[in-house]
Amino acid sequence: MSFRIGIDVGGTFTDIFVCEEGGDAETFKVLSTPRDPSIGVLEGLAAVAAAKGLTPEELAARTTSIVHGTTVTTNAVLTRGGARTGLITTRGVRDALEMRRGIRERQYDNRFRNVVPLVPRRRRHAVTGRLDYRGDEVEPLSRGDVLAAAEALARDGCEAIAICFMNAFADAVHEQEAAAIVREVCPDVALSVSTHVLPTVRFYDRVSTTVLNAYVSPVLGEYLDRLTEKLTQTGFRGVLLIMQSNGGVAAPEVTATRAAGTLLSGPAAGPEAAVAYTHEHDRRDAVLVDMGGTSFDASLVQGGAAALEAAGEIDRLRIALPMLSIVTIGAGGGSIGWVDEGGLLRMGPQSAGALPGPACYDRGGELPTCTDADLVLGYLDPAYFAGGKLPLSVENARRAIDAHIGAPLGLAVEQAAAGMYRVININMAHGVREITTRRGLDPREFPLVIAGGAGALHACMIARELGMTSLLVPRTASTLCAAGMLMSDLRHDFVRSFVTRLADADWERLRAMVAAMVAEGAGHLAAEGVSDDRVAHHVAFDLRYVKQYHEVTVPVAAEHLESADLAVIGEAFHVAHDRLYGYELRAEGTPLELINVRVRSVGRVHAPQLPRLPSGGADADGAVKGRRRVFVPESESFERVAVYDGHALAADNVVAGPALIERTDTTIFVSASFTARVDALGSCVLRCTAGEA
Amino acid sequence: MDGAARADEGGIDKVLVAILGRALKAITDEMSLCMEKSTRSPILCEAKDFVTGLYDAEGRMLEQTENLPILSFSLSPVCAHIAEKFRGNVFPGDVFFHNDVFSLGNQNNDVAAFKPIFHGDVLVAWAACKGHQADIGGAVRGGYNPNATEVWQEALRIPAVKVFERGELRRDVWDLIFANIRLDIVQQDMLAEIGSCTVGERRLLELVDKYGLDVFETHKVHLFDAAQKMMEAEIRSIPDGSYSGEAKVYFDGKNPGSVYTIRVTVTVDGERIRFDYSDTDAQTNGFVNGTYTSSASATILTFLQMVNPDIPHNHGMTAPIEIVIPEGTILNAAYPAATTFGNHLCPPNADAIIRALADAVPERVTAGWNPLLCSLSTGPDPRRGGDYVDILFMGLKGGSGAMAECDGYDHIGMIDASGGILDQDYEMFEQQTPHLLIEHEYIPDSAGAGEFRGGLGVRTVYRVGGDDTQIVTFGDGDVEPAFGLFGGGDGTLNSIELRYPDGTTRRPTSKDLIPGVPAGTTYVQAAGGGGGYGDPRRRPAAQVRDEVRNGIVTRAAARELYGVVLDEETLALDEAATARLRGEA
Repeated sequence: MSFRIGIDVGGTFTDIFVCEEGGDAETFKVLSTPRDPSIGVLEGLAAVAAAKGLTPEELAARTTSIVHGTTVTTNAVLTRGGARTGLITTRGVRDALEMRRGIRERQYDNRFRNVVPLVPRRRRHAVTGRLDYRGDEVEPLSRGDVLAAAEALARDGCEAIAICFMNAFADAVHEQEAAAIVREVCPDVALSVSTHVLPTVRFYDRVSTTVLNAYVSPVLGEYLDRLTEKLTQTGFRGVLLIMQSNGGVAAPEVTATRAAGTLLSGPAAGPEAAVAYTHEHDRRDAVLVDMGGTSFDASLVQGGAAALEAAGEIDRLRIALPMLSIVTIGAGGGSIGWVDEGGLLRMGPQSAGALPGPACYDRGGELPTCTDADLVLGYLDPAYFAGGKLPLSVENARRAIDAHIGAPLGLAVEQAAAGMYRVININMAHGVREITTRRGLDPREFPLVIAGGAGALHACMIARELGMTSLLVPRTASTLCAAGMLMSDLRHDFVRSFVTRLADADWERLRAMVAAMVAEGAGHLAAEGVSDDRVAHHVAFDLRYVKQYHEVTVPVAAEHLESADLAVIGEAFHVAHDRLYGYELRAEGTPLELINVRVRSVGRVHAPQLPRLPSGGADADGAVKGRRRVFVPESESFERVAVYDGHALAADNVVAGPALIERTDTTIFVSASFTARVDALGSCVLRCTAGEA
Repeated sequence: MDGAARADEGGIDKVLVAILGRALKAITDEMSLCMEKSTRSPILCEAKDFVTGLYDAEGRMLEQTENLPILSFSLSPVCAHIAEKFRGNVFPGDVFFHNDVFSLGNQNNDVAAFKPIFHGDVLVAWAACKGHQADIGGAVRGGYNPNATEVWQEALRIPAVKVFERGELRRDVWDLIFANIRLDIVQQDMLAEIGSCTVGERRLLELVDKYGLDVFETHKVHLFDAAQKMMEAEIRSIPDGSYSGEAKVYFDGKNPGSVYTIRVTVTVDGERIRFDYSDTDAQTNGFVNGTYTSSASATILTFLQMVNPDIPHNHGMTAPIEIVIPEGTILNAAYPAATTFGNHLCPPNADAIIRALADAVPERVTAGWNPLLCSLSTGPDPRRGGDYVDILFMGLKGGSGAMAECDGYDHIGMIDASGGILDQDYEMFEQQTPHLLIEHEYIPDSAGAGEFRGGLGVRTVYRVGGDDTQIVTFGDGDVEPAFGLFGGGDGTLNSIELRYPDGTTRRPTSKDLIPGVPAGTTYVQAAGGGGGYGDPRRRPAAQVRDEVRNGIVTRAAARELYGVVLDEETLALDEAATARLRGEA
């Protein structure tokens, strides 16, 4: 018997998803070990082995693949624990990195400070040498300047060096020359060259991304070396793959050279798992929400794949690489409720975290949190939180809510708790709106997939707020990303600038460039052992109306690239533009401009079969384990509702709301206007049965 | 309606009030994104020189996204003006344009689109979007005509006009407007403004549909009340009294050496605050004149930086604030004066307010900010044909003033924008203009020294490409630098210089128009630093040492201004010598 294992290392827990070939799938959670996450990974694998009655060596020997998601790069940036990094850049622009184009995100807050740059000014070296906007040389590169800079950075103890020159996207020649010199002077330094990391126009995007890449690549490289060594020592001989921010996986060697591509990989596997569960219902689109202790993430699945964006940021630092499109807001179980000076009830973004935690944890927390409200409203069982491992104090929760919300607003404790519940649900609904309506999508057309421990208590109300009528809580909701990792394809993204009016494009040169990009992707996938029949390359153009500054990415089919079909490509652009910005200029005949060409090379994996439950008929009475008084939003009153043991439910069981379904790691609140049905994969599918929200 | 917290006796659900506030903000943010992503002029899509907002049927502000605050606080008055002027003649699908400074517009180039939002037959709100357009007719391409003495030499006046009626384009009106504007992209960027309003309309109607019109109307008022209460609490925390301050405006664009004074008396009385400019100098005969709404916007945005930054931006926020600016003063010029420079009277206006309130609330004010000095280049692009217009945003952004416990912000730019407008990306600048960027870096020693230093200024150098380039300058700060407070030092001055290929040099005045600049000319600009706060000798010596190592403070300045002595070779801190110099030994 063989195993495939997904391992998702988070800030608090390391989630493990184990799939037995042709057999069951199981999830495990162990505490993370942030100082060296590979320790937690090995501990987790030991726990899996123990549960299977194997030694760690036996488990390792039988494991064919491990897919691993890590936040080591993310944490390195957030804690400024990355490599000592230097920058070599064009004379005259060495401060661009720190200036961030002069933005202050909070305009009226004079105490809001700029971000500390990853490379301090004294390690940003300027060199002579210049290309113009087309890549023609204005001034030759000064080899002496580059040499001096490299030597100074080496003396300064730099472990990583970034090279980014003006207009290098148009011609990489100066960067390549400089890179050769740096390699000679300091062969052991991790080198990141902008035209390798991101060969596209926009200097600030490129310098910021390249520096981020340099800053985290030694961290990732060392971590992967350590992990690989430990896994090899236990006898693992299978394939190790690493999760990337673009929702795909890649071999460690590929990942290490583009380390910035893992910066936002934490939640990137979620959508893949979500679609595996919605596929059971023939849905290839979904909104995925993940509500944890301090934050709420919303992401999107479209056409069976995670929706991506061309750029984003981390800690206010720009990173212009394709990444999961995700909206994160400060809403979680620990979000603190408060009344502002104008008398408005607010929830978060401050969080009580794990310490002191919600008032009901009885660990010194005095402020009312979302979890306190959930407890007062009856959604949580004080004796069954975390499977009973953490008893909750209803008294503390009531006291905190009364003192900080009820009294100031003149509301009874239950009313105050219900208000908190409602406000945080609205906040989360706005998060969903940002990922849907802001992209011109109607959330009502999507099922809502819920992940994370706390999400399923709030999901019905989030759905009602948005008019969404179909919800799905996967069986592995609390470890969804670990499961998704096993289902994620190998994926490599490439982008290059090709600035031209579309109508005047040199299609021969364009096709040659696409072919080169495809060849690079094919090379990676071949090295990763993907057979040709499972490889596909997807081409897209970043287009805009002439003189616009921002582009809309439009997929281009191979036959339209071949035939240079301007009409089809243009039409796709007009439609997307209208959806996004409320107008289009088809009738005006405004010419289109091509800016970037994108290629995504995908190697499809053989996703594991999710285990199926036997049917148990509609009747779920056997799973009822008690009744509890809970707040029912539809009637704005407390009612006694049935509590089901989630582990005792069988496929096809039906649970009519209002009701609670409790599992050790998740509780689902089925509100009055919803009915839940268990599907063959063990997911609870909730459908709205009554009136408009 | 679902939900929990019950309505009180007046039928008000306090939780729903909070929800509506959040929802309205999400809408104006989305409207802003539409503009940023789909406009053509770099002034809009790169620098974000625009604002989006929602207003109730009477024009009262519901919410705004204020990328450039100086534009922001005239939308509500103009909206009320349109609602009144077209009362009974407003239909679903209408769109109005407006820029007229004599009917409450703030600046000629800031052209607004307004779209009424109907729920069934009922006008419930307006969506609006206003951006700085690349051209608005008048004598000078791109605006900013320093020779103007009347509005018609500056711009096409657009009093409130209807450009769409019931969804139909009024082609005659549209053509009349755009026949008087030089650049085609202005048409497309006004379409983007309308698109942004359409997105705002779609979203607001979803909201009203969801909660019902009655509920929306009754709860909206409580949103105003909540913001008003927050603002009143802030004002109450300022000691009652009457405080005066003044600041100078240098050079009116016509008379060399001319100086005007802005004088403000701020009166705090319980939960009300009044800004009275009655003693301010009379208007100029050039274009250095404010309009009432540009000046009032300056007052509001300056005061907002002294209060809780989380107060919702709606009608209630401004209700406790009274602003008196007599007509005929430099801050409220009488018809038909030229006023294009008016937005840029914000820096001296802010200085006057800060000086007035510094002693009353020393922990809330900043030292002086670097005032704007800006340039705009236009001309034919020899590489592609056609004209370009570029405002050199990257060059104009100096440092902000420091405040208690916080250094100034480097390269943030004028207080009117407060970090809301961005540098053009360097490579996009070279794609969109024929110029070549040579330098854009912090200027060492530009920050006013202080226990908390001012923000750094920047130096910008580019080589002009293409003959027949026209460069227009507008701004200030070349005579008096950003001031320090409570022992902090001043920032540095602004300057612009043109070095022609023939070896001659020209220093434009702060309001100038230089035609026929030849290719190969080097443009050199310094934007100064902000003022420092508190005695520089109290600044931690190690912090000064790090700044010397980073090359933003020179070793000489560290010694002279901060009393910090560093080794010449290693830049190591000489603690003994430092203590002696600081009088601590």
